[in-house]
Amino acid sequence: MDDENDIREVAQTSLEMVGGWRVLTACSGIEGLAIAESEQPDAILLDVMMPHLDGPGTFRQLQANTATRYIPVIFLTAKVQAADRVCFNDLGITAVIAKPFDPMLLPHQVAEVLGWAL
Amino acid sequence: MPRILMAGLSAELAALLEDRLGGVAVRATRSVEDTLEELARGDCSLLIVDYSVMDQTASDVLIQAHDRLAVNELPVVYCLKDSTDTALAGTLLQQTGVAGLVFHPLDGEQLARHVASILGLPLPPAVTEEKRFEQEISAAVAAVWERFKENNLGRVTVLDQAANALLEGKLGGELRRQAEREAHKLAGSAGTFGFAKGSRLAREIEYMFQAGESLGQDQAQRLSQLVRALRQELAQTVVGLAPTPTPAGESTMLLVVDDDVDLAERLVMEATSRGMRAVAATSLSAAREAVARERPDAVILDLCFPDEAEDGLDLLAELGSFRPPVPVLVLTVKDTFIDRVEVARLGGRGFLPKPIPPADVMEAVDRLLQQCRAAEARIMAVDDDPQVLATLRALLEPKGLRLTTLNDPLRFWEALGESPPDLLVLDLDMPHVSGIELCRVVRNDQRWDGLPVLFLTSHTDPETKHRIFAAGADDYLSKPIVEPELVTRIVNRLERTKLHRNMAETDPLTGLANRRKSVQVLGQFLRLAERYAQPLCLAIMDLDRFKQVNDRYGHVAGDEVLRRLGEVLLHTFRGEDVVARWGGEEFLVGMYGMTWSEGVQRLSEVLEAMRFEEFTLQDGAQFRVTFSAGVAQYPRDGTDLQALCRAADVALYRAKETGRNRVIPAGCCVGNEEGTG
Repeated sequence: MDDENDIREVAQTSLEMVGGWRVLTACSGIEGLAIAESEQPDAILLDVMMPHLDGPGTFRQLQANTATRYIPVIFLTAKVQAADRVCFNDLGITAVIAKPFDPMLLPHQVAEVLGWAL
Repeated sequence: MPRILMAGLSAELAALLEDRLGGVAVRATRSVEDTLEELARGDCSLLIVDYSVMDQTASDVLIQAHDRLAVNELPVVYCLKDSTDTALAGTLLQQTGVAGLVFHPLDGEQLARHVASILGLPLPPAVTEEKRFEQEISAAVAAVWERFKENNLGRVTVLDQAANALLEGKLGGELRRQAEREAHKLAGSAGTFGFAKGSRLAREIEYMFQAGESLGQDQAQRLSQLVRALRQELAQTVVGLAPTPTPAGESTMLLVVDDDVDLAERLVMEATSRGMRAVAATSLSAAREAVARERPDAVILDLCFPDEAEDGLDLLAELGSFRPPVPVLVLTVKDTFIDRVEVARLGGRGFLPKPIPPADVMEAVDRLLQQCRAAEARIMAVDDDPQVLATLRALLEPKGLRLTTLNDPLRFWEALGESPPDLLVLDLDMPHVSGIELCRVVRNDQRWDGLPVLFLTSHTDPETKHRIFAAGADDYLSKPIVEPELVTRIVNRLERTKLHRNMAETDPLTGLANRRKSVQVLGQFLRLAERYAQPLCLAIMDLDRFKQVNDRYGHVAGDEVLRRLGEVLLHTFRGEDVVARWGGEEFLVGMYGMTWSEGVQRLSEVLEAMRFEEFTLQDGAQFRVTFSAGVAQYPRDGTDLQALCRAADVALYRAKETGRNRVIPAGCCVGNEEGTG
């Protein structure tokens, strides 16, 4: 989930081409919540700074819904100051990947963090 | 384990081959004696012989060795000096046991492929495939960037505004927060597209906006500088992004003419696997049809067509008479001296005797195409230092590039007109007229719109780079000149501009964008319009009774009308508008940020202008033309290109129905607004 079109597209391209995974995208937290519930993805990459419903807000919604609370969530964010990280960890997300990300590396980072093979 | 013997080639190449194939032992020998010794051991599976150990006597000796050692089954691959020694190639191919023929400069990968195929070994995927994969991804990422580039530059504009406001001490809270957000977004995305520096700059800018009003005047200045640097960084096209894989292969069209269906198919497959487009024709008439449909970039032609009255030489002559001539490689069993002379006389660019592995044929095609491409390119270099000009000449001419040098910048304009170049290299610091000024002069003239300009300079500080790009240059090269870099960048630039022309983004007659290009750009515009909530005006125009013009006055007159209309359109609309020729007599205009009424007004101006245009024929007769147009607006009349076109089309139809020679807007204005008429 990311409100920026170009980042969404690059991430999708990178994850599909290098990771070989099926990728769904959403341009807002609200859209993402709906898709997460209906499609039951194996993992969610979530941008932190989104308008209306931001990353942490979206995450809390995901947690509140039994259908989606067990899906691992990775934050994708340019906010990488220590204070932010502590905050994210407290929320209970699986991991944080920093922006700007390298499209070649992103799938490897995701795989590592989730314990998946590429 | 198969043992391969390489005579006359380096130990490095031997090691390379061993590594590449895995599971083989490769031994390199230097002299004929050593080679024979090794052969005598009897455990050799394949022999590779380089021309350097081959002279008449050596090959005789080897042939004898063949017989003596009763190793007739031993496959031999010969490495010849270059592909022009066709006589020797011919002789060798007559021998039994010749498994392959390669030429210097040797391509290790190709050699490995040959060996693998001869010995029936599996060839593990090359490391290069990984590279290719990476390149594919980079290309995809770059494509996404291109689409959103304007968007992102728009973000920088917001930063500009905020920075200026700050300098004037008038930075409001809302603008500051917005600027902070935009900078944050850019910090998080620029690096992904290869602009690591852009991300760093954006982050600094973000922090500065966070501090806001508490920044002093000095820091406000610095902030402005940072924003400028950021814009420059993101505005670059080449630096930072991985180069897209050589696009040349994509649009290269190869025609294979051979009545041997199997061979033709194999050649087509080989070509396609290299990224070329290829078509097979198994008869001369089929070949002519194919050429008429689309002019090939190169032709592989067999000479023997036993089922036909003529032979390939006739087609060869025809292809040679095209302007520019179509390069032809002749591939044939008919290999006598007389044949070769005839082929050369008719302009054949290569003679390949059959049998020859398809891969080798493709190599020859590649070389041919490279020669053709490079030979057509003209470069002009301007530098007051004759030493530099001499260096450039020494580096570029051997690659087949034609170089015009100029060491007096005052003569520049003259020289430019005398021999228009495909690429311009300018020195930055020259007396009297600087390279920057020359660049600006060039960029100001529409004729030189597509001309790539490269600067040569020993200064690569950001200030200079900024000046260079601000003047409109495409790239710069540092002095001292580093050879591989120079040639690579120049050739890349040339390829890209050539491709630009070859891919025909423009309609040749009118110089307007063609349908394909305009659809692409309109798509981009619509996305922008959506994002920034802007209107977009789309108009379709159709010349009135054009068929009659062609019938009555001839096609030459008709073409003149089209051309003139194209000129008027280009004149009336802005540079950023889409002005395209969509079909025979149909034109399309797309205006971003304009409403239907503005569009109607503009088109009415064009209509007015065309009404006054008198077309005069050779016999003195005169005529005029008019057109009808329908105008639609996004999002009022449609939210995607198809819907908008339909709406404009409906309006166009109404214009035709109600008397032609008018501009009508789409939508609910039936009968109320007849537009101008």
